Amino acid sequence: MSATLLNQEHHERFDRLQLAALVGLMIIGTLFVYSATMANPVMASLPWYDQAWLRQLVWYALGFGAGAALCVLDYHTLARWSFVAYWVTIFFLIIVLVPHIGSMKFGARRWIDLGPFQFQPSEFAKLAFILALAHFLSRPADELRLPGNFWKGIGLLMLPFALTLKEPDLGSALVMLPTGLVMMFVAGTPKSYLLKLIGAVGLLAALFLVDVLFVPPGWWQISMEPYQRDRLLVYFGRDYRAFASANATPAELQRRRQQQLDDEYNVRQALISVGSGGLTGKGWRQGTQNALGYLPRAVAHNDFIFSVIAEQEGFVGSMLVLALYALVLFTGLRIAGQARDRLGRLVAVGVVTLIFSHVFINIGMNIRIMPVTGVPLPLLSYGGSSVLGSLIAVGLMQNVHIHRKGY
Amino acid sequence: MLIFDELKKNDPQLRLVAMVLAAGLFILLAGLWWVQIVSAREYESHLETQSYRTVRIPAVRGKILDRNGRVLAENQPQYSLGLYLDDLRKQFDAAYGQSLARMRAVQEQRIAAQEKKLGRPLTKAERRQFALTPEEREQLHEQARFQVASDVVRQVSERLGQPLALNEATFDRHYDARRALPYPLLPNLNTAQIARFEEQYSGTLGVNLDLQAVRVYPDGTTAGHLLGYLQRDDSSKQGEDSYFNYYLPDYRGMVGIEGGFDAQLRGRAGAEAVLVNNLGYRQSKNILSPSEPGHNVVLTLDLDLQRAAEESLLAHRGADARAAIVVMDVRNGDVLAMVSSPALNPDYLSNDLTYLSDPKLRPQINRVTQENYAPGSIFKPIVGLAALEAGLDPNMTVDNPGYVYVGRRHITDLAPPGRYNLRRAIIFSSNTYFITVGLRAGIENVIRMSEKFHFGERTGLPTRQETAGIFPGLDQVQSAGWHDGDSANICFGQGEMAVTPLQMAVAYAAIANGGKVLWPRLVERIEPQDPAASEAPTVFPSGVVRSELDVHPRNLKILRDDMLAETEDPEGTGRAAQVPGLHICGKTGTAQVMNEHNQEIDRTTWFASFAPYENPRYAVVVMVESGTYGGPTCAPIAHDIYEEILKKANTDTPRTMAQTN
Repeated sequence: MSATLLNQEHHERFDRLQLAALVGLMIIGTLFVYSATMANPVMASLPWYDQAWLRQLVWYALGFGAGAALCVLDYHTLARWSFVAYWVTIFFLIIVLVPHIGSMKFGARRWIDLGPFQFQPSEFAKLAFILALAHFLSRPADELRLPGNFWKGIGLLMLPFALTLKEPDLGSALVMLPTGLVMMFVAGTPKSYLLKLIGAVGLLAALFLVDVLFVPPGWWQISMEPYQRDRLLVYFGRDYRAFASANATPAELQRRRQQQLDDEYNVRQALISVGSGGLTGKGWRQGTQNALGYLPRAVAHNDFIFSVIAEQEGFVGSMLVLALYALVLFTGLRIAGQARDRLGRLVAVGVVTLIFSHVFINIGMNIRIMPVTGVPLPLLSYGGSSVLGSLIAVGLMQNVHIHRKGY
Repeated sequence: MLIFDELKKNDPQLRLVAMVLAAGLFILLAGLWWVQIVSAREYESHLETQSYRTVRIPAVRGKILDRNGRVLAENQPQYSLGLYLDDLRKQFDAAYGQSLARMRAVQEQRIAAQEKKLGRPLTKAERRQFALTPEEREQLHEQARFQVASDVVRQVSERLGQPLALNEATFDRHYDARRALPYPLLPNLNTAQIARFEEQYSGTLGVNLDLQAVRVYPDGTTAGHLLGYLQRDDSSKQGEDSYFNYYLPDYRGMVGIEGGFDAQLRGRAGAEAVLVNNLGYRQSKNILSPSEPGHNVVLTLDLDLQRAAEESLLAHRGADARAAIVVMDVRNGDVLAMVSSPALNPDYLSNDLTYLSDPKLRPQINRVTQENYAPGSIFKPIVGLAALEAGLDPNMTVDNPGYVYVGRRHITDLAPPGRYNLRRAIIFSSNTYFITVGLRAGIENVIRMSEKFHFGERTGLPTRQETAGIFPGLDQVQSAGWHDGDSANICFGQGEMAVTPLQMAVAYAAIANGGKVLWPRLVERIEPQDPAASEAPTVFPSGVVRSELDVHPRNLKILRDDMLAETEDPEGTGRAAQVPGLHICGKTGTAQVMNEHNQEIDRTTWFASFAPYENPRYAVVVMVESGTYGGPTCAPIAHDIYEEILKKANTDTPRTMAQTN
């Protein structure tokens, strides 16, 4: 009898607090996708089965199911297949770049069109990458001192990073970096390696920014999509006209200035949305920025959904959202602390960092402390792949929790 | 608490991760606090700036009334039909969608034809050539909007039974510049159209009635010159916000009372805020500040006398008479009638342009105050007064052979030859007598006396349409260039002098009221439109004395008696003015207008008078350009006016006669 007690691997099955926070986020997500899309008469007049908020609910259900399904298997089993999953996602990342397979939207080839819905490989690549890296790093800590292993780990990170960057999807690529770094840190990679790496990355980033922001055209410029360059220029407040060619006509300069105003528009409208919410906001569906169309309809329900929430529920609402995310993140850390082994710990830490990066970049983007990078807000932004990815990620964390130490 | 537990964990790596997480969340918290709490007001105002448009709402203009409260200028509601673009937005989008689909079909056909020609499917780049440019898309938008709007307008015109046309250029311009305001379709609907509209079309989307105030002058051209006119001026006036997004039609007074008192009449415009969405369409509106109506201006004018004067002039001389009439209350300087012919319609656009620019008629001139005329014989009483003051014996006679020589100059006298004393000279208007007497008294005395009457100076009207007239000063008559001939001219009201009819009225009023030269008063008071308002009216003081003549009352009486004789004597030149039951004192005048060769080319005829003789109250001055003589031309008109005065005195309540302010 006591043996069965001792052999019981868990006390409660799921981390209830995290699940509660998750449900809270899903409710908020549904409410505000509804509010954001109902303000748009075109979207409001779609048939009920095409309505965004309903589809979001469907994705929630599907994602929840997928996450729960994952929890049935022990995460060790999953980890054994991690490299398979990794290479499969790498494969998809490659073929999405092929012209006829990946569909081009807004200047980026990120989606594979599968009829009624789109499939975004980068979302799943992030998860496969976490599993694979966790599996790789879960070897004894001493082995990680070997430079070879260090570079292999870096390679594991760089491959999906580079492919995602090629799509181009700077945001999704960007979130992989801190995830990888934190996982390596928690795994026990020697600090000197990490510091050198951070130093190198920092130097590269600085050079990159200097090139983008200050170097006039005609000199050696890093090739980027024009709109990505423009987003950075907007963030740093640099005048587009400084980057016109030397013999640009006044009409050309005027056009660039106009384009800059248009590009700054999203950020400016998001700021006005967030700021005018004040302490308690304007009320559900009362957001004038959204309803009057100043916050562009195309982005109001996904990348800038936080602005909608901030305008309608004010500072109180923003705090609530932050608090729910904090709950998810810190319960994740607790799961990491209570994990049975290094693998579980690393998986949990990876997922936590991934979610945190998304939250930080997206909310930062809405209040202009980060440049616009097209990163969705987990569970709140509208989008099937994002919801599925987030819920599967949480499913992984719950998996680690379920199979944790019994004492 | 969960977060602090993680931070205190005895697991250095996870603790570090937890700290980084906490720091990151804290940064977000601080940023949100900064944006949503600290800068909230700033963002609110940005929101308002981009989504609110202010509209200037003109105030209700004050009325212009005569002294008895009868309306000379007021506002009437005018209904106009407006097209509300925000209601039509869905139809605009639908029409655009349809025409876009049609364009796409055409595109597909073209692409298919091209492919057939080339025998292969087209590449992406080649297909792109068939795509619509942004300019073409914009044009499709414009056409779709115009089509929808024309459709609506056609329906409305069918139902109203009124042909309405939509001008594409003006419609597009309105859409670009004033989208949030309704597009004006049909101004000034009559009652039948309004009824038909309300019955058939009210409540349907897109079209509605707008209310505006329009200025009307119920009495037509009566007192047109005094009233002035309005011109379209939408801009902000003093005392209002200087910037609005949209300006509704408003007006500004140009001349006359409308111009001189424009600031009091126009009130203060209000502001309305219109909420627009990102496409510029109106969502809702609310009043930011209500407009304050303007004040009413009450004139000293008596509408009955004004009408009577105008009708008399019309009857005797016709509509294109070039003439002026002034009726003044001699006790206090109130202007009771001010007529200038040819008439000017204060509804400015009703005037025919060729009529306005006629160089001979010159209807825009207010002949009462804005034109200089030689007074002719009506100046003689003033010369006579100067002579009396200098010691002239009114019974002294002067021999008149029918002419007089001044130096070598021969001046004809129209009075029959004979001996003339003052009375006779006035009755027959003898040039000889007055030239003789005037020169004997000395031209300086005449000048000094005239200066007391303030000839050559403006009478200070608030409407500012005034000329000062011409009169020589003392230094001029004492200078080397001044000869006896010039002095002689002055003595019979010609030569280096010119007056306005209003100046003559003031002068005769001074003779009538015992020697007080008054400031003429046009406006009695300015009062708020709402009688229940707490603001007190601004009353302009009446009977303000400009200067005293300081002459012997006996001399004034002599003049008055003589002028009474001029009208009542059967041979008096002014006998045509007689009205049974009223004793009128008057003087006719006929001034010659000479060209450079000293030949007469025109005449200015006058009749200046006051009544009743016993207790003078009214002064009437009639001037007609190009008349025959003052007697037959002007006196009959004065007669009609005095008849009207007498009629009023007999029929009106004693209150009217006793009105002192």
